[in-house]
Amino acid sequence: MKLLNIQRIFWILTSLLLVSGAFVCAFGQDGGSGYSFGDSADKNAACLSCHGNAQKVAATSLIDTRQFTHTTHAQIGCASCHGVNPKHPDGIKTPRANCGECHLEVNQEYAGSIHASKTDCAGCHNPHKVKTLTEISGPEMNRMCSGCHEAFEMVSKHGLWLPQADLHIRMLPCITCHTGSKSYFINMYIVRGKDGSRFGKPEVAGYDELKGIASGGSILSLIDSNGDKYVSLTELRNFNTNPDHKQLRLQGMMTPETVTHKFEILDSRRNCTFCHASGPAAMQTSFIALPESDGTFTRVAVEKGAVLDALYGTPDFYMMGSTKNETLNYLGLAIICGGLVLPVGHGSIRFLTRKNRKGKEHQS
Amino acid sequence: MSEKKMVYLQPIPVRIWHWVNAFGIITLILTGAQIRFPEKIAILGSYKTAIEVHNFAGLAVALSFAFWFFYYKMVKNTLDKLYIPNEQDIKHGLVRQLLYYCFWYFIGKPSPFHATPDEKFNPMQKSAYLAVMFVLVPLVGLTGILLMNVTPLRVLILASGGLKVIVAVHFLLACSLLAFLCTHVYLATLGATPLAYFKPMIFGWEEVEDHHEEHHEEKATTPGYRPVRALADYKGLH
Repeated sequence: MKLLNIQRIFWILTSLLLVSGAFVCAFGQDGGSGYSFGDSADKNAACLSCHGNAQKVAATSLIDTRQFTHTTHAQIGCASCHGVNPKHPDGIKTPRANCGECHLEVNQEYAGSIHASKTDCAGCHNPHKVKTLTEISGPEMNRMCSGCHEAFEMVSKHGLWLPQADLHIRMLPCITCHTGSKSYFINMYIVRGKDGSRFGKPEVAGYDELKGIASGGSILSLIDSNGDKYVSLTELRNFNTNPDHKQLRLQGMMTPETVTHKFEILDSRRNCTFCHASGPAAMQTSFIALPESDGTFTRVAVEKGAVLDALYGTPDFYMMGSTKNETLNYLGLAIICGGLVLPVGHGSIRFLTRKNRKGKEHQS
Repeated sequence: MSEKKMVYLQPIPVRIWHWVNAFGIITLILTGAQIRFPEKIAILGSYKTAIEVHNFAGLAVALSFAFWFFYYKMVKNTLDKLYIPNEQDIKHGLVRQLLYYCFWYFIGKPSPFHATPDEKFNPMQKSAYLAVMFVLVPLVGLTGILLMNVTPLRVLILASGGLKVIVAVHFLLACSLLAFLCTHVYLATLGATPLAYFKPMIFGWEEVEDHHEEHHEEKATTPGYRPVRALADYKGLH
């Protein structure tokens, strides 16, 4: 009888423990707010159930779940930046994130820059969409700048000293000239004319479109024909000349390997030969940025070497002083030598036969 | 018998055009070489200066070309006659002039052609200038204008085969112009004296001799040698 009572007490306690545990799991650690901020895989699910739904929150609080999910910020969880307020959302706001808690060095560097007095981190970066430099296409890099710096104004300002300023602003990330980096690479991406027109404004081709062209295969298979997840210069040239996807072209942007948050006007960038000279190391390293379904880009390495020669196969790409076709150079030299045949050949015979014209020159 | 005559061969507008063209094209060649080979050639110091000077010289040559065309076509109305070889030029003149340069010149025969204000160019000059002034220079100018305005004229560039095609055409035509320049300057030294053909392009006047009677004698002694035309047949002698 006594043993039976002990067993009953054990089961009652165990049941109570399980029920309270389930309650905590279901309604939060304190059992008050009804939201979970635990470390489970779905730790953001409770927040996103409202903040990922345009019907439940205002546009300013709406988060694009597809883009947010892959970010580092999603991995550390909403609560890491916004804290846990058990009474949210009942009229209680969660605290704003303090980026400096994690990004202290960046914060200190940024504090000394010209931008610090203009805006904070969120002015340029959406923390719920933030991507690393390797996950972003070239044109996308400039979007965060163009939020404040209108393109026409920038072209006018740069045009005061920079030849073809419109072309430079369109074809280069701002950070290439305005942040210091020891090394650079060519970031290539696939573009097609707007509305599929050959003459349309070039736009970065999207995931769905390229997937359709690849006929079910991976997007990389459009370029990487041997499937080794590495693009050789031969494969790059073949892609450029493949008649099956004439509408697609490669464009390249010279991109810094590392970026700083200190806006700089680098004197070396005013020297055109920083880019416009053949052979700099930056021109030998390149990647192709291919779109992913979540809106990010994945870098695929390209064989080191004269990549710009391969890009030269595309009708849109030419970089003065850097992309030189050697065959053309020799052809040009042959033409010039052809022009010297007469002065040298005729001149030599003229010299040897000068006696024949002695005394006659003034009569001719 | 021969007597010296002074012919007013090159009026001031033509001389201005010629020298603007000459200095413009030389500038374009030098700066163009720096633009294409910046790591090897630095004639003008900075790359940007080379580009700006190249663009300026290009515009000067393009304007000079427009002026040349307007002057000869609209004002003097002699463009076709001066620059387009006629039937006689094609049938006989070209061969005779070629034979003169390749053979008769070396044995001391005088040129079968003498310039006059109405017939300034020998048949070979006509053919060469026709190619240079009606094909080379306009195409170099047009491709240059496209390259100066890559963004605004992007559609035209694509329709022409793309940027690399335009660059290749511009570069090869520029090399052809340089080749022509070498030949042109050398042939200009084949006058009575090495500077005889330069003087009219500076002062306007050329000193020539009437070979009317001598040519009759030459016809008898040199098989195949025949002057294209005699100076006395021309107008404009002073």
